[in-house]
Order: sequence, then structure tokens, then C-alpha cells
Amino acid sequence: MKRIAACLLLTAAASAAHAASVTLPVLVPLTGFLAVEGASQRNGAILALSTPPAGVTAKYDVSDTGVSPEVAVNALERAAGDKPIAVVAPMLGTQMLAMLPVAMEQKIPLLTISGTAAITRQGNPYIFRFFPDDATTKIAQVRFALENKGVKKPAVIYQTTAYGQSGHAEIVNALKKAGIVPVYEEALDVAVKDMAPVLAKARAAGADSLIVHLHGGPSALLLKAAAASGLGLPIIAGSGLSQPSTINLLEPAELAGVCAETSSSPVSAESPAMQGFLDAYRRKFNADPDGFALAQYDGTMMALEAVAKGATTPAALTQALSSGSYAGLAMTYKSNGRGDMAHSAVIICYDGKSRIPKVVAHYTNAAAD
Amino acid sequence: MLALQLLFNALALGAAYALVALGFVLILNATGAVNFAQGDLVMAGGYGGLVLARMLPVPGVVLLPLLMAGMAALGLMVALVAYFPLRRRPPEAVFISTIAIGIILQNGTNILFGPELARTPALLGDGEFRWLDGVGGGLVVSAQSVAIIVVAALLIAGLHLLFSRTQFGRRLRATAQDREVASAIGIPVDAMVAATFAVGVALAGAAGLLLARGFFVTPNDGGNYMLKAYIAVTIGGWGSIPGAVAGAALIALFEVVFPALPALVPALGGPAFSQNGATIVLDALILVILVARPQGLFGEASKARA
Repeated sequence: MKRIAACLLLTAAASAAHAASVTLPVLVPLTGFLAVEGASQRNGAILALSTPPAGVTAKYDVSDTGVSPEVAVNALERAAGDKPIAVVAPMLGTQMLAMLPVAMEQKIPLLTISGTAAITRQGNPYIFRFFPDDATTKIAQVRFALENKGVKKPAVIYQTTAYGQSGHAEIVNALKKAGIVPVYEEALDVAVKDMAPVLAKARAAGADSLIVHLHGGPSALLLKAAAASGLGLPIIAGSGLSQPSTINLLEPAELAGVCAETSSSPVSAESPAMQGFLDAYRRKFNADPDGFALAQYDGTMMALEAVAKGATTPAALTQALSSGSYAGLAMTYKSNGRGDMAHSAVIICYDGKSRIPKVVAHYTNAAAD
Repeated sequence: MLALQLLFNALALGAAYALVALGFVLILNATGAVNFAQGDLVMAGGYGGLVLARMLPVPGVVLLPLLMAGMAALGLMVALVAYFPLRRRPPEAVFISTIAIGIILQNGTNILFGPELARTPALLGDGEFRWLDGVGGGLVVSAQSVAIIVVAALLIAGLHLLFSRTQFGRRLRATAQDREVASAIGIPVDAMVAATFAVGVALAGAAGLLLARGFFVTPNDGGNYMLKAYIAVTIGGWGSIPGAVAGAALIALFEVVFPALPALVPALGGPAFSQNGATIVLDALILVILVARPQGLFGEASKARA
């Protein structure tokens, strides 16, 4: 009798979980200089929200946060009125830093893919980052440069944005630990058009390689200028170069030998599951996914799986995300106690014949090594 | 050889910037108002080129006149919507209406084309010529850059001829100099202002097509081009057409040659010669010009500066 009662209770609990209907707004930058990356983030979230685990219904609205912290905070305050179980939060670090106090006050978990290291260092229990932070990706980038390319005198070229500054600090730290000082460093505004000056100065400084941390467009401009000038130095770029929409602007020959760090490379379709994601994404959005899309897909799916298992309140979901682990398509996600869920990065390289990169190295817990 | 390469790059970039600034200054002279949508119209020209290229798979140089015609029509619409209804209001009304046009263009292209970087077809082709490969890295001249310089030079020369040799051009100039007197002597001022919008926006469209090949285009690019036009016109002389061209060339020199000086002269170095440093030096130069020579390098045709 007791066993039957227990079964009934379990069935009832399962039914309750299966019947879960949650609101999970998507607040991402769809205009401004992060619009391309923001669209990837949106698409990854929507793909997960439109194919939730059995029994879970997810309602969502998409809001454009632009690139202003004030707009992002207003969007979060509006979304809070709908009693969301969590929020897909923008990938722009300055917006995240502004939103964190609101999330703390409203007790809403934020699911983001912002790489800015500082966002998980504020002691806020409601932040969950599903993209490896700069400490992870930049260490992978530097390790690959040193170990695989034999780099000894790098030039470091980065963006003046928060994204660029954060990554630059991690790159220089990683180089310093290896006893290497860049022979040339320069921060570029996103509006810089002609990359000839920066390449000329890197060459004049005696650089044996370029370690690059630029957004997608500037990365493409730099590679075009490097190819046109016959620079002939190894280029190890940041995740800005892993975006298919950026790569499509370059000829395969302009990519020859260029490598880049990223969280994952869905277009490389390393596994059948990744191929399934690639196919589903192409069907839904008529575009190729990048690592940002897959990271946000995995992060949103982890939250929805937790909901399916009974975490149907923000508090329960926060607890589930803080303590659980999830085998996503790109990697296994688990919090390090600060909300950093992703601890792996990959290096992709282009062979000069195709725009589809090959994953040539995986780095897990590189920051902890 | 590096110096030659940088000068050539600056010439190509400056040529395209000159078209942006010229369109800006023409409308400024004709209306006395700043067209804050000029940068977004450059961006719209890039996307217009993209649309035409999808419809007609021909080289960009064939698309250029079609695009300019389409952009001229857009210029007329901008005049009808954002200028004529507000022309008797304070100038700030036109500033705001052109800002609104810019925002509409930016968000409209974002909705229609998405935020991804886009690229227009090459004017003639993507070939490049290399000279003296063994000497200091050699000189690389792309067909697109040569085409940009030639097309911009032809458009600027054509504009000069239009203004100096035709009755229509003389009427445009008269309207720009004094709308009331022009009207009193029988010049159809409204038609001249509308025509100026058409020419100015056509130039913006041409610049968009030229720039979007080598430097791509996104819906958010307008603000940056607007700023360059404003700076070029401020340096060159508020309302001066030769000044706008000179100002555009100076901006290109500061973007391409100035930050590369340490590579040419190793004794030079330091933050002033970084890309950011070059921007600061250029902006400081503008402040000096505004104080020491408020009429700009080439005088000032208009009295009011927004």
C-alpha cells in the first residue's frame, strides 16, 4: 500500500512538473555594435524556448537592450513585472553589471553569455554565465599561440570596448605568466577602417605573430589587410572571428592559417548531436550558428531541464543551476560557485580552402591549470 | 614604400569621405540646416547597392548610376518629409526631423537586412596590382581603391561643372547663397532646395557603395559617417565645398598616415601615435581651428554653425 502511495505521489509530482508553464524573457542587444552577436544570442535562446523538454511550456518576449546600460535595466525592470522564472540577459558586460543589482533585488536568475570576467565577481548569486569567461578563452588562445605556434614576440591588438579591455588584460596576464612581454600593443576603436597602420607598426616592432581580440567586423578588416599586405605572420584571433556571418565576408585564402578561440564551433559539427543542432538552427533561422548561439541554447536548455525536473520557481531554479551540472552540446556546464558555468574553450583553424573551420584543440579548465 | 602605400590608402579613404562631406555641405548650404541623417543615408546607399546587386549581377560601376538615381529619389522624399514642412520653424526642428529620418533608416535596415555585416559588389573587380615586392613590403594597389579614387574624382569634377557651367547649377548656388534674393529674382527656390537634397543624397549613396565593399556596412554605421562629415566641414570651412574635400582628406590622413608614423620614423612613438591618440590629436586640431580660424581652412559661406 505504501509503495502504491509513493508511486502515486511520484506520478503527481511528475505531472506537476510536466505541466510547468514558465515565462522566460529574452533581453539581448539587437541594435548597436553588438547586434550580430546579440542576434546569435537571441536565436540560441529562441531555439531552446521553442523546443522545451516534454511537459514544459515556455512563454517569452524578445526585447532589444541596445548597448546602453539604462535600456537594459529598464528592460529587466519591465520583465520583472511578468514574474519570470529567469531572464536571458544581454551579453554586453556593462549592461550586465548594471542589471545585477536589479536581479539581486528581484531575485531573478540571469542566464547570460557575456564574457566580461567581472560579472561573476560581484558576489551575486543570480548570475549564471554559459560562455567561458575571458580568463578561460584568453588563456586557451595564449596557450595555443605559445605551444602550437611557437610565439615569442607577439603583437596584441584589441578593441577599446569593455569586451576588448577585459580580454586584453587576460591575454597580457597569460603572456606574463609565460615570461613573455608583447612587443607591441594597440587598442582600436570599432570605427577604425584601415588596418594598414596597426599592421605596419606590428611589423616594425618585430612581432612574430598577432594575438587579436577584436569584434567580428574589425577582425575581418584586419585579416583582409593582413592578406593584402602579405603580412605572413601567424594570427590567433578572438571569438569575433568565429562568427559565420563575419567569415562569409572573407575569401577562404584570406583565412589561410588563421586560428581563433571560441567556446564551440557548431558549424564544424564535431558530433551527431552538434550536427542536429546545426540542422535545426539552419531550418529555423536560415543562417549558420556560432558559439554564442550554442552557448545560449545550452544555457537556456539547462534552465528548462531544471524546470522539467521541478524547479518551477526562481528560487528553485537558482538552487538547481547553482548546484547541478548539465551535459550540453558544447560542453558540460557546472557552476564554480560564482555562476561561471562554462569552463572549456576550443581553438579553430582555417585551411585556406574552406570557410568551415576545424577544431584543432580543446582546453578545459585552462584557467585553473 | 610603406609611406606610398599609406598615402594611397589615405587617398582612397579620403575620396570616399569627400563624397560624404560634399553631400552634407550641399544640403547645409541650400537649407541652412544640418542634415543629421547624412551618415545614415551613406549606410542606406550601401544597402541600396546590395539590393541592386541581388537584382542585377553586374559590376558595381554599372550599378552606381542606378543607385544614385534611386538615392536622389530618396533625397526628394527626405526633403518632402523632413525639411519642407518645417522650413519656417526654428532650425532645431529640421535638426530633429533629420535625426528622426536617420533613426528610421537605421532601424529599417536592421529589420530588413539584419545586423550582420554586409558587402557590396566591387566597382570593377577584386584584382590588385603589386609593385616592387622586394622593397619594404612593396606597394599593393587594389582595383577597388583605384576605382574609388577615379569615381570620386569624376563625381567631384562633375559637381564642379554642374555648379560652375550650367544655369541649373548657378540657380542652385544662388539659392544656397541667399534664398530670399533668389526667390525675388524668380528662381524656384523650393525646387532648387529639393534638387539639392537629391544631389546631396545621391552623393551619400555613391559613398555608401564605394565604402561598403572594402569596409563593409551595418545598420549602425551612420553615426560614424555623420561625425566624419561634420568634422570635415568644420575643418574645411562651414559651407565651403573645397573645404569639405580638404577636411575629408585630412581626416583620412589622420586615420591612416598619422598613426603609422612610428613605423616610418622610428624616433617617433608614444600614445600620441596610437589610433586613439591620432583621434585625440585630430580633435585637438579642430579646437585650435575653431579658436584661431573659426571660418575654417577655406573660409565660410554660411554664418550659422549648428
